[in-house]
Amino acid sequence: MKDQNAIAMAAIYAFLAIAAAFFAIPLIIMLLTSFKTAEEVREGSIFFLPESWSLAAWGKAWGEACIGRVCEGIGGNFWNSVLITVLATSISLLLASLNGFALAQWRLRMSGPILGMLLIGAFIPYQIMIYPLVRLFATGGMHQTLGAIVTVHVLFGLPILTLIFRNFYIGLPEELIKAARVDGAGFFQIYGMIIVPMSVNVFLVAAILSITGVWNDYLLGLIFAGPNFQPMTVSLQNLVGTQMGLPEYNVNMAATILTALPPLAVYLLSGKYFVRGVTAGAVKG
Amino acid sequence: MTRVEIDGVERAYGAVKVLKGIHLDIEPGEFVVLLGPSGCGKSTLLASIAGLDPVQGGEIRFDGRDVARDEPSDREIGMVFQSYALYPTMTVRKNMSFALRVAGMAKPEIDERVNWAAGVLQIEPLLERKPAALSGGQRQRVAIGRALVRKAKVFLFDEPLSNLDAKLRGEMRAEIKALHEKLQTTFIYVTHDQIEAMTLATRIAVMSGGEIQQFGTPDEIYRFPQTRFVADFIGAPSMNFVDAVLRVEGGRASLEMGQVRVELDDYAFAAPPRDGQPVIFGTRPERITLQGDPSPGAIPARVTGVEPMGADTLVWLDTDGHRWSARVSPEEANALGREVHARPDPQGISLFEPESERRL
Repeated sequence: MKDQNAIAMAAIYAFLAIAAAFFAIPLIIMLLTSFKTAEEVREGSIFFLPESWSLAAWGKAWGEACIGRVCEGIGGNFWNSVLITVLATSISLLLASLNGFALAQWRLRMSGPILGMLLIGAFIPYQIMIYPLVRLFATGGMHQTLGAIVTVHVLFGLPILTLIFRNFYIGLPEELIKAARVDGAGFFQIYGMIIVPMSVNVFLVAAILSITGVWNDYLLGLIFAGPNFQPMTVSLQNLVGTQMGLPEYNVNMAATILTALPPLAVYLLSGKYFVRGVTAGAVKG
Repeated sequence: MTRVEIDGVERAYGAVKVLKGIHLDIEPGEFVVLLGPSGCGKSTLLASIAGLDPVQGGEIRFDGRDVARDEPSDREIGMVFQSYALYPTMTVRKNMSFALRVAGMAKPEIDERVNWAAGVLQIEPLLERKPAALSGGQRQRVAIGRALVRKAKVFLFDEPLSNLDAKLRGEMRAEIKALHEKLQTTFIYVTHDQIEAMTLATRIAVMSGGEIQQFGTPDEIYRFPQTRFVADFIGAPSMNFVDAVLRVEGGRASLEMGQVRVELDDYAFAAPPRDGQPVIFGTRPERITLQGDPSPGAIPARVTGVEPMGADTLVWLDTDGHRWSARVSPEEANALGREVHARPDPQGISLFEPESERRL
């Protein structure tokens, strides 16, 4: 019996190792390639370790790579993405948690229909709203501004984030709110002093969902951000997709990893919450 | 000390009337218990007094001031909930001072009040703990403390002991009673537990179907129930009932149950009795004596079960198709055969009108 168990365990681990390698190989090749020189890449030995480890491609991708005629890399766009993500995430978390709290615990007359509309909002593909939004922003004179891209991200993030908060707050005991009302606290005092401290975990989950969503977005950034606040994903595509002369794969790989790093870091730092965030999105969106 | 007058309070959820015009006059410093089965409207009434549930009609007056449309915080009440409802992220001290901090009170005064309340409830060693680190009884004490620091005019309790085990419930019951004697504040207390109601209340309001069935001292409620519902709801096991007919001969009233006649010389009739009037006769289990031999005024019965309770023994009887119970001493119970005769104590009789089910 014992031997059989050992064999079964070995087989399971072997399978898991192969599966993990299968998914890790592209990332490994990207990393290896990014550390090679341009000449070495051209030799085509993509599975070998670099002959000499070089950070040149990383430096170039960050600050010198040419997109069209401008040779400033994608480092500047990194800060655009940070700005957009921080603004959009903090605004949507604040609004979504307030909405969710009001919908779950404040007996609103229309909370049922509002919830239904939110669900619809979470299911409709956002692409169909792009043209009306462009027209709207153009009419308001804020097309392709920081305000436009942040507003769009907040709008599209709100339904699903509100649902996440609402589903958490619906589980809080009603008597808690009643006790606070007897104690004389108003809506915002109850929200700020009692509800927010209780929902740190949900804030983390929602933040992860929002950060990864906003950071990884390409289409909205391309359309709404404009040249001054172009996010990193858009500049990466411009770098990789339009190259003059020979393609510099090592620089492309380095730029791609740089772009993918923040969500990856969020994932590594908060694995438990990340899984919760992903499942929350999967089940309720 | 605040007088609470509830004057025609109405509340309906859609077509369902939960409170059908409640009238209740609570004297300053009273300990009033709202008692009733679930769904009788007692918690809704308490929530209306607290201002957590809007009323649709009537007035709620605190010392003559109508507060029925005021916010809960403007009513100067303290409330203790069944689930304690402590703020989980705050320490006991922060929990108790929350209302004062929200009201913007100065810190020295907050500390003074919290320390005073903690002293009254003997929870000083717990002040820096979080609610999760407290036992059920301690949490309940903190919940009371939270109401205490506000120096509320009226204390409201919504089934505060339901989540505690039996032993702790008994202890907390005694503490709440002692607290009331100490503070002399008006207490309004909701429960479905009649032992709590009997032991705590200066007066009990028995509710059913959104109406007050009877409002009186525990003794009045137990001995002179004004409706059949009250007679049936109060007491465990409940009162024994049987249909009977009134006889009035030469100014003396008596009761006719088949072959048996029970004299009613000591019964205080609310209205003059009529000869031949049908009534519901009721008597409590402890007001029955069981004997082997037939005698005038004793109802023949068959013993269907015996439950020794220690101090006394409960004997279940079948009296011509009615299920009765009698509370007798263990010695008496041991001496009984299968066929017995149940003699009701003339002092412990309640009569009800069959149509209205009101006391005669």
